[in-house]
Amino acid sequence: MDSVPAGLVRGQGQPSVPRICRWSPSFFQRVLLLVLLFVAELTVLSLWLDTASLSQSTGFLGIVGDWGAWVLRFILGFAAIFGTFAWLKHKAEIERISSKVEQTPIRWRLLAVHFLAMAAFAGLSSLIFVDGRSGRADLLGTSWFAAGISAIILGGLAFLPRAIWAGLVRATGYLWAYALIAALSACVVGNMGGRWLWKAATPASYLTFELTRRFLSLFVSGIVANPEKMMLGTQRFSVNIAPGCSGLEGVGLILAFGVLWLLLFRRECRFPQSLILIPFGVGLIFVLNAMRIAALILIGNAGAQQIALSGFHSQVGWMAFDAVAVAFCCAIQQVSWFTSRPQERQALARVTETPTGAFLLPFLALLTAGIVAKAFSGSFEWLYPLRFFAAAGMLSVCRRSYVGLTWRCDWLAPAIGTIVFLTWIGMDHLLNLNPGVDPRVPTTLQAPRLAKGIWITFRVLAAVITVPLAEELAFRGYLMRRFISANFNCVSFQSFSWFALLASSVTFGLLHGGNWLAGSVAGILFGFAVVRRGRIGDAVVAHATANALLATYVLIFRS
Amino acid sequence: MRKFLGISVELVFGLMLLILGSTTVSWATAVPEIDPSSGLSALALLAGAVLVIRARRRNN
Repeated sequence: MDSVPAGLVRGQGQPSVPRICRWSPSFFQRVLLLVLLFVAELTVLSLWLDTASLSQSTGFLGIVGDWGAWVLRFILGFAAIFGTFAWLKHKAEIERISSKVEQTPIRWRLLAVHFLAMAAFAGLSSLIFVDGRSGRADLLGTSWFAAGISAIILGGLAFLPRAIWAGLVRATGYLWAYALIAALSACVVGNMGGRWLWKAATPASYLTFELTRRFLSLFVSGIVANPEKMMLGTQRFSVNIAPGCSGLEGVGLILAFGVLWLLLFRRECRFPQSLILIPFGVGLIFVLNAMRIAALILIGNAGAQQIALSGFHSQVGWMAFDAVAVAFCCAIQQVSWFTSRPQERQALARVTETPTGAFLLPFLALLTAGIVAKAFSGSFEWLYPLRFFAAAGMLSVCRRSYVGLTWRCDWLAPAIGTIVFLTWIGMDHLLNLNPGVDPRVPTTLQAPRLAKGIWITFRVLAAVITVPLAEELAFRGYLMRRFISANFNCVSFQSFSWFALLASSVTFGLLHGGNWLAGSVAGILFGFAVVRRGRIGDAVVAHATANALLATYVLIFRS
Repeated sequence: MRKFLGISVELVFGLMLLILGSTTVSWATAVPEIDPSSGLSALALLAGAVLVIRARRRNN
């Protein structure tokens, strides 16, 4: 091994040529390593520390209690926005800069100092969060903050030298400022907006109360209404219409969606006609919220109180938002009064005949069926078979589009599936995500024999057949290739980019809720399965194997 | 194809919805009308529906 310091050739004092004797990963491998390191550290810290425990503190620790979690979200949001848009908008510059990075090895000493800073951060965290030390709190808090920031900077510099970071900032222009403003605004609005919204919601909740009472009076007599306490219902079942039920959240979402749509697609909209869709959408979602509460009371009055208060309560607000937003898009695209290009209406293809539709619709059917099934379930999702039929039906409708795909696989596909299964179970135990016995499994096993058999059969069929097909078509077939090119259908399944693989895998992982990390790892492995031979069949079989093993594990261990 | 700051508009819109969806989970607080814990599925559904609707125009 050459012992000359990096950058020098022995005896000449001149800048060296790239040396191959040290491991020097590419730019994207370094970014991946850095992200993995930070994600691992963040996961441990999130499980260990709770900034809410400092809410009663004063001074610097009080600020950490109030804003600590938001500072973390700001850093994550800034990194996500900057990284995503830097890659999309400045791909060529980043590739040019990244070619230089391989001349510099990873700086292990800096990495060691990073770990020392993290150790100091962990020690100070233990004093502040666990022991609750209040003496010299500001000194402790400031040291804790400095150790955390130092650890981040040292980690960043260990993998990518300062010149590369400076080059990235220069190449991306003012993107850092836009990302900073966007992330900062989101955090300030998120932290303070909720309090302002709460004050504005009280008058709106009176209007919702009155609307709901009128809807109810169409279906039942003997309504119990107490406007002072905002209680509304029947003799058997009544609810309190809290400010959070006023409908303002849906109004805010539709307002944001509508304004964004009109701004981004302004050339396709006819103005000022299209502007009327904003108040129409806002009014519609407000009325739908009142109808939601009326339906909830009617369901509870009919005896299904658990359904009313759990599934229906949490899902129908989103269903209304999605329905109004999709109606908004369709109106601008298809109603000639709103569109600036009415001649294009005739040329619109059927959704099931477009490549995007063929790859995405089975997954969207799965999602829709899941939301509907949860809405009409109590604590247990008895309507799960709906997911199987919805995805199977949509796969059948789009089946002609899949003829050109390669569905073959080899031995490595089930092997990858087994690795995903072991990773999933390992992370589940390691992070203790689902402690104890899953309450749903005993509920299922206590059901009548026939119902139990039908439910478990469809649950396993969906896990092994329809879910792998729908999810692999959407995430590996569509999203991974879509991140490579807008014309995704012309991109070979063997085309590869780290950004496409990671972005599609993290999105896949996020849809697995608390198991997002295991889901992201699974997405990466399924992505490699596709890219290796360019066959979607490899990913589907790997996914099906993992799900089949998980189903077997759950049924055997009831966990 | 329509561009916004040099990037495909559909991709920007889809990514914004996905970012919104993922932040909804991490910033979750219990609220009755729009339940953050179910937000990701609903926003993924909307993002997918938008991509499918937009794809009709160019038959992609």
